[in-house]
Amino acid sequence: MKFKNKVKSNIKELREECNLSQQELADKIGVSRQTIYYLEKGSYNPSLTISFKIAEVFDDKRLKEIFYQEPVIKDILKSKTLEELERISSEVGITTHKLIQLNNISDELLNENYTKEELEKIAKNLDSKFEELFEG
Amino acid sequence: MNLENEAYKGTISRDFIKKETLKNNLFLFCVAVFLILTFLIYLVLIGEFNFDLFLGLTLFCVIIPYLIIAPVSAWYFAAYKRNFSYIIQKNNIVINHGVFTKMRATIPYKRIQNINIVCGVFDRMFKTYTVKIETAGHSAVSSGTKSRGIGPEGYIPGLKDPHIIENRIKEMIFQSSLPSEGLEDKIFKPQELAFDNFISYILSKMREGELLQTSIKELREKINLSASQLAEKVGVPMQTIQYLEEGRYNPSLVLAYKIAEVLGCTIEELFKMK
Repeated sequence: MKFKNKVKSNIKELREECNLSQQELADKIGVSRQTIYYLEKGSYNPSLTISFKIAEVFDDKRLKEIFYQEPVIKDILKSKTLEELERISSEVGITTHKLIQLNNISDELLNENYTKEELEKIAKNLDSKFEELFEG
Repeated sequence: MNLENEAYKGTISRDFIKKETLKNNLFLFCVAVFLILTFLIYLVLIGEFNFDLFLGLTLFCVIIPYLIIAPVSAWYFAAYKRNFSYIIQKNNIVINHGVFTKMRATIPYKRIQNINIVCGVFDRMFKTYTVKIETAGHSAVSSGTKSRGIGPEGYIPGLKDPHIIENRIKEMIFQSSLPSEGLEDKIFKPQELAFDNFISYILSKMREGELLQTSIKELREKINLSASQLAEKVGVPMQTIQYLEEGRYNPSLVLAYKIAEVLGCTIEELFKMK
């Protein structure tokens, strides 16, 4: 599965739980408020030291609990209407449910449940290349 | 001293006098013909043609003024030629001109916009050329004072070979646009600045890397993976892995995720804050 080069995060929820403002959190870590803003927006790829510092602020949480990666395919599937998704899945020959499952799937499940042919067909129908969506 | 050695001093050709005199005489001749014709028509129209009156008018209004103007103008052009000189210096062109009022125009190369070589009808008869040096923002002054040479626009008439001047000026413009001696490496260069920024960015990343403790090497060796194989799987240059193992690089979270995935462990197992 190919993931986006930016990470999503739960910082906003965690921060609100601890009653911290963006500025307070930024001061604790030693970055600018904008960095926190972009992290919450999910359009940033923080360095590992910053990530560790953030995890430290939130009671040494595991990084996976704060930051998670989204597959490239998610945004593409999101932009499609239900009719389009139904059309694509019928063309590929799988159920719509199976197509939407691609949003959140581990590599093992991907290899088990989908043939390479199916994935290539999906990529073609989504106007992307196979490598852009599934290899990486 | 140095400046004078490099300077090129030039004057204008003698043909300039011939050309201007011819031009002037032609103009005077036209005026004379016009005046004589006017007298003739006038005298015929009022009905009493008097040859003596016509002769007198012609003498006083045409011939005598011509006899005065022609030599004076010839002298004027000769004087103009004598007084005209241009010097191509290191940083600017100096043009000296003027017969009654002496003028000295200094045109810095920085201000020169274009050089025009003009060859008019009379120029072609005598094979001379006029070089016009246009400068930035000359219009306001020179449009008010159209007369020759006045105003900041450089004007060098009567040249036999204008390309010598043109090439010299071009050469000088090129030289004056070069950085002065000893300052060559202080000139602002965007590429170098970008490179400096890049280096300082890398250095700061490396310094942050000192805060991290990593066990990439151990985990990698456990599954019998070489650094280059790991780099290939992760999709980064081999150096990145080397720097990471030496603790000289602070990776991004996405890169850390990728490495953890390839090595089949969590990020916390891979990296620890010191």
